[in-house]
Amino acid sequence: MNPAPPYPYEGDPALGARVAATLHRVIDPELALDIVELGLVYGVRAGAGAIDVRITMTSAACPVTEHIVAEIDSELRRELGEGVTPRVEVVWDPPWGPERLSDRARHALDWD
Amino acid sequence: MIAARVALLLLGATCLLAGVLGGLVRLGAPIPVPAAAAAHGALMVGGFLGTVISLERAVALGSRWAYAAPLASGLALVLALAGAPRASAPLMLLAPVLLLAASIAIARRQLATHTVLLAVAALAWAAGSALYLSGLPHLAYPFWFSFLTLTIAAERLELTRLAKRREAAGPLFAVVVLSLLGGAALGAYDLRAGTVLFGVALVALALWLAAFDIARRTARAAGFAGYAGRVLLGGYAWLAVAGAAWAGCAFDPSLRDVALHALALGFVFSMIFAHAPLIVPVVAKIRMSYVPFFHVPVAVLHASLLVRFAAGYEHPAWRLAGGYLHAAAIALFVATLIYAGTRRPAVDERQRPRVPAL
Repeated sequence: MNPAPPYPYEGDPALGARVAATLHRVIDPELALDIVELGLVYGVRAGAGAIDVRITMTSAACPVTEHIVAEIDSELRRELGEGVTPRVEVVWDPPWGPERLSDRARHALDWD
Repeated sequence: MIAARVALLLLGATCLLAGVLGGLVRLGAPIPVPAAAAAHGALMVGGFLGTVISLERAVALGSRWAYAAPLASGLALVLALAGAPRASAPLMLLAPVLLLAASIAIARRQLATHTVLLAVAALAWAAGSALYLSGLPHLAYPFWFSFLTLTIAAERLELTRLAKRREAAGPLFAVVVLSLLGGAALGAYDLRAGTVLFGVALVALALWLAAFDIARRTARAAGFAGYAGRVLLGGYAWLAVAGAAWAGCAFDPSLRDVALHALALGFVFSMIFAHAPLIVPVVAKIRMSYVPFFHVPVAVLHASLLVRFAAGYEHPAWRLAGGYLHAAAIALFVATLIYAGTRRPAVDERQRPRVPAL
């Protein structure tokens, strides 16, 4: 059984596991780490025909936000098919902090 | 909007081309572009870097009005080249003010040290341009380089939050930034003291980045992240060289060539080479797949600086050879970007690991 994702999830549990695996495929290119391990995913809600994903970024000044949003959109469409519409919202509150990094990300970034 | 972004990118590229040609003329190349030679510094700092930095900020902010900043900065230098200084000058001042406004809007979205520092960097650009237009280029350059250096430092500072932070990092960074701006300002009253302080601050920034930046970790990664990390570390080495040469300018003016170009080409262009494969596709909304060949133009850039500096200032033929190699490095990099942006990625490149080993 997959461990629970490190963000609040609402919806069908089986679909949640597929969404989590998909979000793990979205990589921050500068860091070579995925957005779930970086703690950038704030929440996912799977409804009828739509998946709402709330994310943040480490910097509001970073143009790569657009790239990450587009990647989430295309990866979810590829995984779930065109019948499901991903809706990605970028939020700045609460602000991201390093406490959101996963243990694997900390290890990769030499925290230990 | 994408067409407008690409047009602004091309406007910046036009200034880059003119700036490179102007630089070659200054080194003695027989190219008939006297206006570009006269405006070499303004073309590179405002026309090219000011335009692409403002464009990057506008994309991050996502507000249409913010695109007026890259338009103003690029257009200002095109007008200057076309022999219309009266139309160019107000735009040269307007561009940093618009970038400042965009940076403040971002700081309001996320109030943090790095977002505030980006606004301070835009202010330094405005100060530099005002001094340049006042006929004081020797005072303008420290402010223009403060703009570039602080913009880069702010972006790197933000990423240090991902590393285990050491207590001294924050206070040391504040000292470095204040010394840099202090050195630029002090130059107006005591040029020698200001020059030394500015140079020492650049060396200190290089040491800070070497100690605290995550590039040391990411340099070990595979693919693009590893490439970017390694290129950043090379840039930090040139930043230290530039700082030492800048401080040395106070006593030996022949070091000015090393100071300016180790900083502009060695440090700033390394940052561009490191990040353009990531930022250009975002701005132009295209897919780009990283290719290891990106290391080659970087190696040519480093070699070109060694050729330019190694023989000393009294050997203009070597400096010109270095200049041609700078141009070759930039042309090769642009060609690699175009190749990486147009080639069809192999199927297995789409299979990404969950957590790539660093």
